[in-house]
Order: sequence, then structure tokens, then C-alpha cells
Amino acid sequence: MKEISLYEEKDTPIHALDPLTKILYILAAILVPALYGGRTAMAAFIAASIAVLLAGRVLRRTLPILSFSFIVLITVVIIQGLFRAGNTTVAFALGPVVFYREGLSFALGIGLNVVNILLSFSILVLTTRPSDLVEAMVRLGLSPKLGYVLASVFQIIPQMTATMGTITDAQRSRGMETEGSLLVRIKAFLPLIAPVVMNSLITTKERAIALEVRGFDSRREKTFLRERKARGRDKAVNALLAVLIVLALIGRVTIWLT
Amino acid sequence: MNEKKNLWSFQLNTASLVLIPAAVGINYIGKLFAGLLKLPLWLDSIGTMLAAFLAGPVVGALSGLINNVIYGLTMDPISFVYALTNVGIGIAVGLLARSGKIRGVKSAILGGVVVALVAVVISTPLNMIFWGGQTGNVWGDAVYAWCVAQGMPALVGSALDEVVVDLPDKIATILIAYGIFRGLPKKLTLLYQSGEKVESLD
Amino acid sequence: MAHIAVQHLKYRYPLTDELALRDISFTVGEGEFIGIIGQNGAGKSTLCQALCGIIPSFYKGAYGGKVLIDGEEAAKTPVAELCRKVGIVFQNPFSQVTGSKLTVYEEIAFGLENLGLPREEMVRRIDHALELLDIQALREQNPFDLSGGQMQRMAIAGIIAMEPQVIILDEPTSQLDPQGSEEVFRAVQKLCLQGITILMVEHKMEKIAAYSDRVMLMDKGEIVDFDTPQKIFSLDCLEACGVQPPAFTQICRGLGLRNGDTGLYPVTLEEAHKALDQIKGGAAHG
Repeated sequence: MKEISLYEEKDTPIHALDPLTKILYILAAILVPALYGGRTAMAAFIAASIAVLLAGRVLRRTLPILSFSFIVLITVVIIQGLFRAGNTTVAFALGPVVFYREGLSFALGIGLNVVNILLSFSILVLTTRPSDLVEAMVRLGLSPKLGYVLASVFQIIPQMTATMGTITDAQRSRGMETEGSLLVRIKAFLPLIAPVVMNSLITTKERAIALEVRGFDSRREKTFLRERKARGRDKAVNALLAVLIVLALIGRVTIWLT
Repeated sequence: MNEKKNLWSFQLNTASLVLIPAAVGINYIGKLFAGLLKLPLWLDSIGTMLAAFLAGPVVGALSGLINNVIYGLTMDPISFVYALTNVGIGIAVGLLARSGKIRGVKSAILGGVVVALVAVVISTPLNMIFWGGQTGNVWGDAVYAWCVAQGMPALVGSALDEVVVDLPDKIATILIAYGIFRGLPKKLTLLYQSGEKVESLD
Repeated sequence: MAHIAVQHLKYRYPLTDELALRDISFTVGEGEFIGIIGQNGAGKSTLCQALCGIIPSFYKGAYGGKVLIDGEEAAKTPVAELCRKVGIVFQNPFSQVTGSKLTVYEEIAFGLENLGLPREEMVRRIDHALELLDIQALREQNPFDLSGGQMQRMAIAGIIAMEPQVIILDEPTSQLDPQGSEEVFRAVQKLCLQGITILMVEHKMEKIAAYSDRVMLMDKGEIVDFDTPQKIFSLDCLEACGVQPPAFTQICRGLGLRNGDTGLYPVTLEEAHKALDQIKGGAAHG
């Protein structure tokens, strides 16, 4: 069964961490540089994230996550380096094209911020089973119904993709053109998507009924089949991250006061 | 039935809740088909708009939110941030549909313009914070580069960048969503509406 | 006291003018196996959904009369509570998969988690349901990777685990291949032996004849007759109601072969045998 998630089952201490600890790490990676420390703190968190991803043996799998953003980042470097308002100091020139230091520095800031966020999220995304994450959130107080909605998306998207394959083949065999001029391709879009949509909405109705007869609307307090894992180590990491955030906050406040 | 019902009213009944994963799936399929057919549009909010047409602004907003949370958790963490834009799209379409503003192709196109504007207003500041104002779309970024090179403020360039990207996309998307919505059997669309009561035959 | 009592039940779907159920009354005792037959649009599925409270709560529309399950009024009980007493299995195995669980084992737990059962109790019930439906080997598989018949048995297991006293099966095999159907019928037979009250809508009349204590023939939203399979399948109006009797009954009808004691047509192979023996015996004596 194809999953949309990038998660891969592995036996590492990072995989074993509580999903909430990983969420707290993301918060720290975003908040600490924002509050205090700026680019140095971002660089430090990027280094830390790389180390954690290595420990979780998933560093290579960050490539698909990073690649999309990298393309945008390259255009950011080019456009800001060339055109940014306030560009005065020439950094270097490639023939007639002149890059300015101010623009490049701005682009570097954007790049560090984006890479820092992407890597800290990657830890969560690559080493946590989506259903574990959802369950952790429900335990924390997320409505079980929204938990259901989140968890089911992970399974329903691959189902719909499969249906989509069937329909594309069927329409092609009926002679529908999916290549050619823009107009031809636009005309092909509706007959392709409409059956998938109809089909999924009808399934949706039946599924809603099937859920209701299994107590989906129950007012009783929900229990969980899966046991909660031991969490001594999680608590230690959580405390460390919380201390970091608080220190950054104190740093920020002292700057304001002085 | 009371025609003047509250625009925001919604029922988070099971039918509406189960509509949300389907909407996220439809968004995804729309994006895939658009890519497959190499269309110059994203078409990745058909499901959000359809959910808004069917079940109103709140369910539309939730579909938009959850759509981006899922993308954020699986493919592209930055999309968490743009959840705000999709929430805006869901609310805008839901309100337009509920207030009866969308009655045909012409008003749907007009609705698309409104939705595009909402998207621009929400996305532009986010683009400024994360990408210095760019969108990552070739045509949009070309406009942005031109504006900045002309000495205009980055904010103006960024907004125009987003307009170039969003206007055709949102108009096309709302037309598709509206077309599908009109084609659905009334028996199905009724399930998502609030305010229905059981009539007594005793 | 009757286990299920339906009194003057009437129902009309929204946006329609005609009643889907018009004044239905009947009772079912504990542990009975009831077959429900009739052509499409006769009101069978509507009745099933009214018995578990989905009608009227999910569809709204117009409703009258009473459905009492073990003394509790279906229309006035939340579906999430009523489902502890009445379980229902639908045609489409695919749309009954919740979609939020990654293994068959967890999938069966879905309803039990909603009911708030303690973990040990869940484990006990799931293991029992897996065994009863003969799907222990599938417990760690992804629900969407199963065949139709396996998926349908998983759906039944999910209902069984909630330990209802009544189980309704609304054409549980109509979307399955012959092998999948056979798997499901074997499972239903086992449930029957557990003493659970069963109501099954089914188009395969041989199965109805073989399992049912009583058969309900429906047409145009009404009960035409509700009696033993022999009586129902001997009715003259059967064809007019769009129902083909079991093959044995048709053959015996053609041959004019009736049970000597009751004057009714046989509905199963065994009964046909008996009727034949009676004739032979009669001939020998005469």
C-alpha cells in the first residue's frame, strides 16, 4: 500500500521519541532565533537538526523536502542579489550582471530561516508515524473527531490516487486526448476529475453512516488501543527545550529593558 | 425552510466531517491532474471550494486548514504557513455561496476574482516574510523582479506577483468547483446543510 | 417481551413525495434469524436503517410510528448509544473501512475506542471477533489491502466486537465475488449459532431459505407477508413482488411436488428429498 507520508519505519532513538517532543523541538528552532540570537542561533539549530537527522538515519530523505524550496531560494538569491532596493556595495560581477552584498545578505537570511524550519520539521515528518502523531495530539486534547479527519487523510489520498489511475486509463482508452494544445488539455481536465469527485462524495456519505453505527458520535470518553510508550527520556529532552525557549525569552526581555 | 439562515451556521455532523478528508483528497487529485496535463494552473483548491459550497464557510475553512497541515506533515513544511490562505479561500467561497451570490458562470467568475483578492491579501505578507516577496512561480516572479528593478517597493511587486499567480487559478478553480457542485444530486447536497428537522408523521 | 418491536413505522425521504415505508408493524424474538426479501425499492434498506436509528437522524425527512429495540425507542436514542444494541453491516465493504487505522486489528478497535472500553476488554473482544470471522491471519495487514470478502468480514468483526444483541446485514455479499460471498455466509452462519438475533437482506434466495427462521417479503414500502420460508416461497404473489424463489422451490413447483403434511413447496434440498420420500412412501403404501 502506497503511503503519501515520507515516514519510514526504523529502529532508532529518534524514532522512539514522543511526537510531542519533536513538535516542541520545532517550536524551539523557530522561537529561539526569532527571540534572541538571530542567524547564529539559526545556524546552530540547523547543525543540531542535521545531527539529529543523522542519528535517525534519515538525512538523505530530507532531499525531496529541501529540493522544492531550493529552487525558490536560488531565484531569491538572484533577484534580491541583483535588484533589491538598497543594493549599493558590489559583491561580484558576472560580466554585465552585478550582484550586491546587501541583497545577497538578505537572501542568506531568508535561506537560513527556510532551511532551519524545513530541517526541524523534517525530524518530525521523517521519524514519526502519522497515526502516532495524530494520536499524541488527541491525547493532548485535540478533538478525537478532528483526529479522525487527520488520520484518514493519510489513507484516503492513496486510495483516490489509485482511482485516479483507473479513470485516466479508462478515459484514454475512450480516445480522450490528454496531450496537445492548451485548449485540448483544459477540456480533458473536467472529465478526468469529475468521476473521482462524484465517486469520493458518494463513498463519503456511506462512510459517514458506517462511522456513526460504530459510535463515532459517542459522548463517552474515548480510550486507546495502543499503549502509551515509556517517556523518561522524552521528559528530559522536553525540559531542555523548554529551558532554551525561556532563556531566549529572558534574553529578549533584557534587551528591551536595557 | 427559513431562507434567511445564518451565513456562518454549520453542522459539524459526521457527514460534514467526513467531507473534509475527501476535500483534501480532491485538492490533491486536482493538483496531480493539472500537473499531468501540464496546465499552467495549480487547481489545488477544488476540494476546499467544493466543501465550502456544500457545507459552508466553517467546513470550507477547516478543509483548507487540514489540507495544508497534511501537506506540511508529509511533503512541504512551509505549507503550514500558507494554511492561512486556504482558510481564507474556504471562508470566502463559503460566504459567497451561502449568501446566494453565486448563481451562474458570470457570478462564479466574479466570485473567483474576490477569492483571488482574499488569497493575495493573505499570501503577500507571508511571501514577504518567507521568501522576501516571491512566490516561486516563474511568471509571477518575473513580474516581481521587474517591479523591484523599476524601484517599486518589494510589497507592491510581491502583491502583483501573487495576483498574476492567483487570479487565473482561482477563477478556473471556482468554475470547476461550481460546475461539479451543480451536477451533484440534491439528495447528497442536503446532507451537509444545517437546520433540517425531522418532520412527524404521527 | 419482543426483542424488536416495530409499530406503525412510516418514513419519507427528504425531497420525495412518496413514503418509503408505509405503516410497518412486526415483532422479532431473541435469537431469531430473519430473512428480508423484495425487489429494489421495496424499502428493505430503509427498514434496516430505521432499525439502527440512522433513519431519521442522518437523513432527516418525515418519520412516524415507533421502533423499539429491547424496549428502547430507536428514534429517540442517539445512534452512538443504540449501536451497543444493534449493529449493521452494509453492501459496500470499501466504504465501511474507517480509513484512519493502519491494521485490521486497530480497525476493529475503532468502535470500542469510541465506546470508551478499557484496553484489556478491547483486546479480549477483538481476539474473539477475529476468531469468529476467521481473519486472525490478517490482523497486522492494512485494511485497504484486503480482498472484498476479507474486508467485509473485517467490517462484520468491527460490529461483532461491539457485542450487539441484534445484527442487521444489508445485502452483505452483493458486491463480492462468489468466493468472498461464501466466506461471508459462513461467518453469518457462525454468528447465528452464537444466539445473536440476525436480520439479513439478501437476493440469494437459497441462502435465505437455508438460514431463516422467518422471511419478511416486502413490496412498495409495505410488508406483504412475514412467515416461515416455506409459506413465503409458496406464495402466489411472489413473482409479482419481483422475487424468484429458490431453485429447489421452482423445480418442485414445476413438478407440483409439495410437502404432504403442510401442502407447501420445499425450499431446500433436504426438504425436497423429504417430499420425494413422502411420495415414494405413499406410493409404496398405496
